[in-house]
Amino acid sequence: MIAIERRDPRTQSQGVEPGYAQTDRRWPAQPLIRRPLGASELSGPIEVMRRLQPVRGDLAGHGAKRAIGQLIHLRARVVDEDGAPVAGAAVEIWHCNAAGKYIHPNDTHEAPPDPNFYGAARLVADRDGLIELRTIKPGAYPVPDTGGWWRPPHVHFSVWGRVWLSRLVTQMFFPGEPLNEKDAILNAIREPEARSRCIARLAPTEGGPENALVYDYQLVVRGRNGTPAMP
Amino acid sequence: MKRLAPSGEMTLGPFFPREFAQGANDLTVVDGKKAAGEIIEISGCVRQADGRPLDNVVLEIWQADAQGRTDNPGFFGWGRAATNSDGIYSFKTIKPGAIQGRAPHVNFIVLYSGLMRALHTAMFFDDAKDPVLDTVPKERKALLIGKKTPSGYRFDIRLRGEGETPFFDD
Repeated sequence: MIAIERRDPRTQSQGVEPGYAQTDRRWPAQPLIRRPLGASELSGPIEVMRRLQPVRGDLAGHGAKRAIGQLIHLRARVVDEDGAPVAGAAVEIWHCNAAGKYIHPNDTHEAPPDPNFYGAARLVADRDGLIELRTIKPGAYPVPDTGGWWRPPHVHFSVWGRVWLSRLVTQMFFPGEPLNEKDAILNAIREPEARSRCIARLAPTEGGPENALVYDYQLVVRGRNGTPAMP
Repeated sequence: MKRLAPSGEMTLGPFFPREFAQGANDLTVVDGKKAAGEIIEISGCVRQADGRPLDNVVLEIWQADAQGRTDNPGFFGWGRAATNSDGIYSFKTIKPGAIQGRAPHVNFIVLYSGLMRALHTAMFFDDAKDPVLDTVPKERKALLIGKKTPSGYRFDIRLRGEGETPFFDD
């Protein structure tokens, strides 16, 4: 059976964040309850693609019609806490366009939409746990009614691991962005090392593709295989 | 073997694509075939601290089949729904049987903007003896029990405030 350790508050965020007003209206006021884990919480859903369809593998346009922005190539790897690849993991990705505008009716930001940009992809990891996506680097945008909070460029990920408790929803950030220093969501991860793991790594440009910057990212889903490692 | 720390979970944010949220809330059909068991609807309203219903909240469930199995190839116990602008979500599913040592239940996670990470809870069908339900203080247990409706069960989720849904930490 897959083993799950309790969340570490130094590497995980939760609760009410002073810089993020909505948390005060939505995070439970009562303490969360520790429960015993068993077959119900430590089983599937492994094959969510039985109920979901693949959605695009390229957000940067099609044919000659290219979305505006810096072309990037994301290489994300899904592994468990043992570092073992989660082959076949379903991964959802969404982000805003280069001007900081989402394809979503609830986005009231006045930045322009980009007709050649596709904001959402749903992919399945290969046997090495790898997914690859061509897209454009998202822009930064102001969060309404916050007195100056700008979200740094980021990419949303939703990932399924081996069991129910392995479900991971997170965001990927870009290196060298000054807005990273103040972002209320990134900095809710208190431990600097854990925070730095939320920032993608720019792959060496030598020998890379000529038209895109490659960013590498690792997504670690909860769970270790119960079988002890061979000595 | 060195353990890798799990990635930091973060909020879903307000702009989860509508196309992702649609079309996965019917668990009664698997690979084009009808699953065995009693068909029920589980629906409810999701509200925040001031009682306001919330739009575009993403809910995912995981449950056993009618016999209490989680590995039945003829049933897939996972689904996803999103609330509408009135805060209402709905699943069509099969009433789960009891997994060994447990009372019948449906696991829920709630994903939303303003939640730094997913919230976990579970819906039960009655006040049965169950090791997870028994961890909940007596006066709050009723909040985890679905209310019978003509078509199934109603399970309202209050994130914070009066009648706050009990959530689990694992």
